[in-house]
Order: sequence, then C-alpha cells, then structure tokens
Amino acid sequence: MSRSCADSGNGSRESLFFPREATIIRVSQPTENERHFSLKLVDGGEMDFEPGQFLEVGVMGFGEVPTGFASSPTRTGGFDIVVRRVGRVSTAIDSKGVGDSLMIRGPLGHGFDLDALRGHDVLIVAGGLGLCPTRSLIQYILDRRGEFGCFTLFYGARDPQQLLFSEDRAGWRVSHAVEYHETVDKADSTWAGNVGVIPTLFRRVQLTLETRVVICGPPVMFKYVIAELDALSIPHEHIYVDLERRMKCGVGKCGHCQINDTYCCTDGPVFTFAQIQTLAEAI
Amino acid sequence: MLAWLERRWETVRVLFIEYDDLVPFVEAMIAARRVVGPVAKRGEFTYEEVGSAGDLRLDFDVTILPPKKVFIPTAQDLLRFDGGTVEHCIDPVETVLFGVHFYDVKGIDMTDVLFRESKADWDYLAQREATTIVASNIQSVSPKAFWDSVGTEVKPEGHDVFLTKIEGGYVFETRTEKGEALTAHGVFREAAASEIEAARKVNAAVMGTCARRLEHPSVEIAKKMQEAFGDEHLWQRLAERCFSCGACNIVCPTCCCFDVQDHWNLDQSSGCRTRYWDACLTREFAAITLAGGGSENFREQKCARFRHRLMRKTAYLNEMLGGPACTGCGRCASACPADIADPVRIINTVMEVRA
Repeated sequence: MSRSCADSGNGSRESLFFPREATIIRVSQPTENERHFSLKLVDGGEMDFEPGQFLEVGVMGFGEVPTGFASSPTRTGGFDIVVRRVGRVSTAIDSKGVGDSLMIRGPLGHGFDLDALRGHDVLIVAGGLGLCPTRSLIQYILDRRGEFGCFTLFYGARDPQQLLFSEDRAGWRVSHAVEYHETVDKADSTWAGNVGVIPTLFRRVQLTLETRVVICGPPVMFKYVIAELDALSIPHEHIYVDLERRMKCGVGKCGHCQINDTYCCTDGPVFTFAQIQTLAEAI
Repeated sequence: MLAWLERRWETVRVLFIEYDDLVPFVEAMIAARRVVGPVAKRGEFTYEEVGSAGDLRLDFDVTILPPKKVFIPTAQDLLRFDGGTVEHCIDPVETVLFGVHFYDVKGIDMTDVLFRESKADWDYLAQREATTIVASNIQSVSPKAFWDSVGTEVKPEGHDVFLTKIEGGYVFETRTEKGEALTAHGVFREAAASEIEAARKVNAAVMGTCARRLEHPSVEIAKKMQEAFGDEHLWQRLAERCFSCGACNIVCPTCCCFDVQDHWNLDQSSGCRTRYWDACLTREFAAITLAGGGSENFREQKCARFRHRLMRKTAYLNEMLGGPACTGCGRCASACPADIADPVRIINTVMEVRA
C-alpha cells in the first residue's frame, strides 16, 4: 500500500480518514453470525491501545464499522476483533480470511480507567457481543492479577449457540483467578448451566460495596443490571458502562454518535454511570 | 500548527476603493484565482464561482446555502483506492470568498472550531486555509433574519477583509496578511476619516433592522432550553408537522454532520470513500443495525430529533463556541416545508412556556 502523504504523526496534515493496513493472521467462527479475527499491522508496529478503546475496521469500497478491541494490550504479537455480520460492511469483513488485509483506524476513544480499577474488587457484566470489548479488560486483569482485588465475571447470551470464546470460558470456569458465572436466556438440549437473564446471577455472589463494576451489552440490559447495583448501594461513580452508538467517523466530527451534548466516540465509549445518568438519551 | 485559526483580527489598514474600480479589481482577482461570491439565481442568491465581476451581487439579502459549501463540499472525496493502493484527496484550491455577511463569518468561525477541536480535520482545514474571506456589509435584510438579536456576545472573527459600501465607493479594511495581499489586484488609497465614519454608521444602522427577534440573551435561552428538555408534550407539539426531511440542517451555516460512503468506479477495482452532508433530523441518523435485520434507533421519535437540533443550536455547543451555534441567518425558517423550523418562534415559545 502506498501513502501519498509522507508526513505522519503529530502535526500531520494527512486526512483523519487515512487507514492503516492490517493482515489477518487467524480467523475462527464462534457462532453463526460472528467471526473472530486476529490481526497484525502490516508496518510491523504494535497497536498501542487500552482496553475499552475501539477502532474503525473496514474494507475499501465497502466502508468502516466501529469495533472494540477484543484482546488485551498485555498480549503482544497482534490484536483481536470480533465482527458480527449484519450489513454491507460487516459482510465484506466477514468474507476475509487468513492473509487478507483489513483497513483500520485507531485506537480511538477513551477506554476503561485502569488506574481507578487497580487495587479494587472488579465485577464485569457482559451481555452478548459485550463480551468482546470486555475480553480486552478480562485478559488485562488476568495478566496483571496481583494489581486487582477479587475478580468476578458475569456473561450472558441469548441461547447456547450465541456463546463466544469457548476456550476462554473453559479456562475461566476452572480458574482461581476469576469467579466466573454464565447464563443463557433460553436453554436447549445441549445446555446444563444457568438459565435466566444476567441480573439473576447477582444472587450467586457476595459483592463488596467497594466493588468497581464494568457493564457492556445490549441497551436493554443496562437498566436491569444497574437496578441490581443500586440495590447493593454501589456508587454510580464506580460503575463503568461501555456504550454502543453509530460511531461513524470515530473522531468527534460526523455527529452520528452524539448523546445529548456528548460524543460517544471521543468522550467515551466508556463512561462512568455518574457521567451519563443525567443524559436523557444515554440508556 | 493552527496559529492562523487562533487569531483575533485587528485592522491592518483602512483603505478605500472607488465604486468604478471595484469591477476591475474583482476581474483581476478572477484572472489570478478562483473567486466565489453571491450571484442571482431564479430570484434568490447562491454562492457560486464568479465568472465575471458583473455577476457579483453584493446587494444580496441571504444565499440559499451558506458559504460552508466552499470548505465542506456537499460530496467530498476523502480517499481514493485502486486495488491495494489508498491515497488521500486533500487538494486545496486558492480561493477568494468575496461577499460574506457577518453572520456567515460567525458560522465559518464555528465550523472552524468544530473541525479543529479534538483532532484537526485537514479535509476541511486545508481548503479553509487556502481561502481568503472578504466580508461585506449587509445591504438588504432577509425577512426571516434575526442576526441582530442572537448571540450578540459573539463577534465575527475569521475574515481577512471587511468591505463596506458607502457613497462613491467601498471602505476596504484589511484584517490579515491574506487580506493585504488582495490589494495588489486593485487601485486603493487610504480611507479618509469621514469615509471611515460613514462606514461605521452604515454597519451600525443595519443592526436593529431585522423583522424577527429573540427577546432574551443567549445564556438565559440556553438555561431554559436545557430545563425544557424533558417537556415531552412541548417538543411533540413543536415537532408535530415535521417531515424529518433535514432541510433545516442542510441550509444551516453551523450544521456540519456528515455521512461517509464508499463507491466503486466502473472498472470495479478503483473507487472513492466520500463524505456527504447529513442531517440529524432524518429518521435513521442515530440508528445502528443489529443482527437479524433489526435496528436500535437512539433518537427514534421525530420530536427527539427536532429537540436535538434546537439543543445543538442554543445550548450544547455554547461553551466550546463562546455562544450559541445559531447565527440568525433565518435560512432554516425559509427552507422548512412545514414552516416549523423558525428558531425565533421555537425559542420564544419555549421561553414563554417555561417563564
């Protein structure tokens, strides 16, 4: 790939929309609609990002979609994303295989405040595809386990066919580093685990008032999970939400991801619940 | 890096050009570079590339579209691709934007901030930097205008020359080096004190001539608008006849939201990534696609979209811009097919209801 503008880095007059090329080094298909890609930058550099940040992933001629990092920066040699096939762009990405290129822009936005989480008990609540951006933080905590207190993870999916990262989950189930609970809304004959929506998992654990909580999942999940946390009197400053919006440009210009006066792409996508609870359009 | 955007103008020189010398001056500029200015079009005015100085209509009241289109083309290629090659498309054209009313200068100041803040967008800034702006006094007032009562604490900044028509010619105040450079194309002399005073009077006299006006200062309006946010009945009533067409966004000098689309050339190997003007009043603006053909629309109700535009214009951006993101041009009021977009009517209604 050629660059028409040699100037790059700070002070660059290059287009904000100019992408970098990344090669697909691994692909797997955890569910019918989702593909899990491991990527490596073609220029040989490491992606310098924080858990919770996102990137715009695209194919020239089709477009870009915003996608959270699904791996931790503590794991070098590439980075992961998961793309759900829903439209024109994600279908184009879905058709790519090992050795093919994707065009990316990022890292973008603000991720999880790791300094605020360090030294505290952490609960991550992930629903559906929400496990992808939170997997970045899960791996980070597991890789630096000593820096965090008790670590609890809730994961819920619509049905057993939608569950992601089966290898990871097998490890979490037997790990002493994380207290892992999973559930599905609707079971099938293959399922012997918990059945019920995510909030039902709260009765299985004892959380301290000092727990820091991270929530990522479909919009409908947030209010039910926050109701459980309110019942435990966990302060809203200690609740982190990772929001999904139409982050088209990713750089605070195009207007599509605005929540009242807040740009999800540059002010977020991770916010404390205290920050957004007064924004009428947030949840 | 962006020192030219940080400037607060001050007058460099106050010059005078005779009425009969203006046409040769504009002709000389046209010979040297692209000149864009207000011209007549089917009984209205639009900014177009000026082919002949005689076409320039400095007596315009307001143009259909604001001059933002010079820096934000309605369709702007961002990237060109061919096979595995990707190139950017930043290719500014030296331009003189000749004849911009002060309210549109304020609009340009605001888009300057929006494209500069957070991350500098050179697909906008490069053309902005390559453009010399000649502001001109208002000779006729549009019936929907209210620029003399909105955001009066915000002064127009981003122009290089201010031109005022007085008896016998024009007072030509240069504000920047770029403005000074234009004087090479014409015959100018120092303005006399009486001419400077005449120009001051002309510009002072036009204030207070708008037929429509806001009755409250912008700080008070911003506060009341925020307070009225949750009044669903009010917004439903105000937006009842909205077609969600987005015309109010398209004609607004400070609306600059965009969509990005890729398209292929006929060879099926090359193409462009292009941005297009977008409008937050349209139904799908904040919608995302979900699996299984579903979607989640974060501003599904038309009253929520209608409210979003008004909040953007009166409250959300005030801190960043130093005042409201409305310049009082009145274009939205003229463009709205349902005749419900007029900010004067909406704001005055909200102020009354919440009084």
